[in-house]
Amino acid sequence: MMSSRVALALLIAAAALAASQAAIAQTAISPPGRLLASNCFQCHGTNGKGPGFDKLAGKSARKLFKEMKDYQAGKEGDGIMARHAMGYSDAQLRELCQWLSQQRR
Amino acid sequence: MQAGSSKARVLVVGGGMAGASVAKYLRLWGDSVDVTLVEREATYTSNIMSSLVLTGQRKLPSLTYRYDTLQRRYGVRLIVDNVVEIDPVAISIKLASGKRLAADRIILAPGIDFDPVPGLGESSRMPHAWQAGPQTTLLAQQLAALPAGGVVAITVPKMPYRCPPGPYERACLIADWLKERKPRAKLILIDANPDIAVEKENFRRAFNELYGGIIEYRNGVDIISVDPAQMTLATSSGLVRADVVNVIPQQRAAALVANTGLATDKRARFAPVDVLSYASSVAPKLHVIGDSCATTQPMAGQMANQQAKICADALARIFAGQEPDSAPVTNSACYSTITRSEAGWMTAVFQYDSASRVMKPAAASAAASQGWTRKNFEEMNTWFDALMADTFA
Ligand SMILES: Cc1cc2nc3c(=O)[nH]c(=O)nc-3n(C[C@H](O)[C@H](O)[C@H](O)COP(=O)(O)OP(=O)(O)OC[C@H]3O[C@@H](n4cnc5c(N)ncnc54)[C@H](O)[C@@H]3O)c2cc1C
Ligand code: HEC
Repeated sequence: MMSSRVALALLIAAAALAASQAAIAQTAISPPGRLLASNCFQCHGTNGKGPGFDKLAGKSARKLFKEMKDYQAGKEGDGIMARHAMGYSDAQLRELCQWLSQQRR
Repeated sequence: MQAGSSKARVLVVGGGMAGASVAKYLRLWGDSVDVTLVEREATYTSNIMSSLVLTGQRKLPSLTYRYDTLQRRYGVRLIVDNVVEIDPVAISIKLASGKRLAADRIILAPGIDFDPVPGLGESSRMPHAWQAGPQTTLLAQQLAALPAGGVVAITVPKMPYRCPPGPYERACLIADWLKERKPRAKLILIDANPDIAVEKENFRRAFNELYGGIIEYRNGVDIISVDPAQMTLATSSGLVRADVVNVIPQQRAAALVANTGLATDKRARFAPVDVLSYASSVAPKLHVIGDSCATTQPMAGQMANQQAKICADALARIFAGQEPDSAPVTNSACYSTITRSEAGWMTAVFQYDSASRVMKPAAASAAASQGWTRKNFEEMNTWFDALMADTFA
């Protein structure tokens, strides 16, 4: 008979596996950041590849995030892009910038 | 979805801003969905930018979009036919041709219909031109024929209607054109709302400073009936006579939505939905996006496009046995023409509020431009091409 400690460890491992599989399935169906980033597509093109304003696909996530924070802080004027940037939390910006950075130019 | 490997089947009704976007994104975001788009017209004519046809700055063909790319690049199946009936239980539709189609989910994106205007009947003398097409051409011709010193009347329906700044920007555009082309002409803007509904500072300033001698703005006035033979409008503040009358009637979800029993909001005009997936509140396997649905978001093309993406993503997850994203974000953005070469803008990002289960504007993001510029007018063209490409290409 299995010791209860081994059984528990197996159970935890199985649960972790199931959770990570669910996470992988979820990620495959809808990669994090993609749906958020789709708010940029109307003005910057599908997947940030144009036609439209500046292309966003494949830019570094750090640079994109900084640009968005600059827009939020009013360092880039009070245009439509600045107002748009003000609509997101930092966590949302990180996710969508990450996703955009992974798109081929 | 059926068990096994067979693809989930989705029927999209209406190939406008919402329907074309959802068909594209369902296919772009996964190959496990079979998408059939049913649209009654062979091509789509954009409402956005269509007021520029009235001033001769745009031609309708430049606002026409085809479904080729959706079919070729994304594998959307297109049927050009009129959907006459939807069965919310069997999840099937009936076409004018008599054909029936069934699916796992149906997405309704048929846009709006107009309330009948008492007295108007079938007359073409007072076009709405609020669904771009023959009516737009008609109104353009009527404006071109306006006699010197003539009077134009435009009516603004009660909110909610598609494109909140639309009637005011149309008034500005036409007034700018009258200034040059029809000296001494006047424009009476008859608004059923208590005040300018959106972008108030800009429009008020424009009415006063640019069009003081041309636009006469009357707020809180209802249209009781019209007489196209006499070219008069009976309003709650008296009779108005004009040479050109642009009646923009009250709006509701397209008849198909009501006939399916989905238009159950307070005034029984639009379809309430769960904004996590745009599933109808009364028939959860029918989804309603774009101008037909009742949400806290404005009825606009940019918004219709984003609702479509939320819906496409939610369906992909649902078909895979998952839950829709619990924190969706949408945005609206409208450039409004203040003159024939200058524009302002308004925008807002909407975040899901889990407590009230509605989309709420993020306060700092909801704003309008301070004034209007040529640069904005140029940006409007870039934005329009980008939006249309994101929807149809
Ligand atoms: C003058 C004007 C200016 C505008 N400017 C802007 C702007 O600057 N920015 C902005 O964001 N929005 C603007 N809008 C609003 C925008 O056009 C609408 O909000 C948008 O088109 C809504 O998309 P929709 O898909 O819900 O409806 P629509 O785009 O109207 O599409 C509905 C489609 O469904 C089809 N259909 C209907 N019933 C059936 C049926 N029974 N069977 C088959 N097909 C059917 C129709 O033929 C149509 O193609 C403007 C509107 C107007 C009138
Ligand atoms: C309503 C249209 C609109 C939307 C939606 C929009 N943008 Fe923009 N964006 C613009 C415009 C216009 C500019 C140019 C602004 C300027 O000149 O200041 C711009 C510029 C930018 C720039 C600066 C590019 C550069 O190289 O200078 C970045 C970065 C950017 N946008 C990111 C985004 C991201 C990320 C999103 C989505 C979360 C987004 N935008 C959504 C209109 C939009």
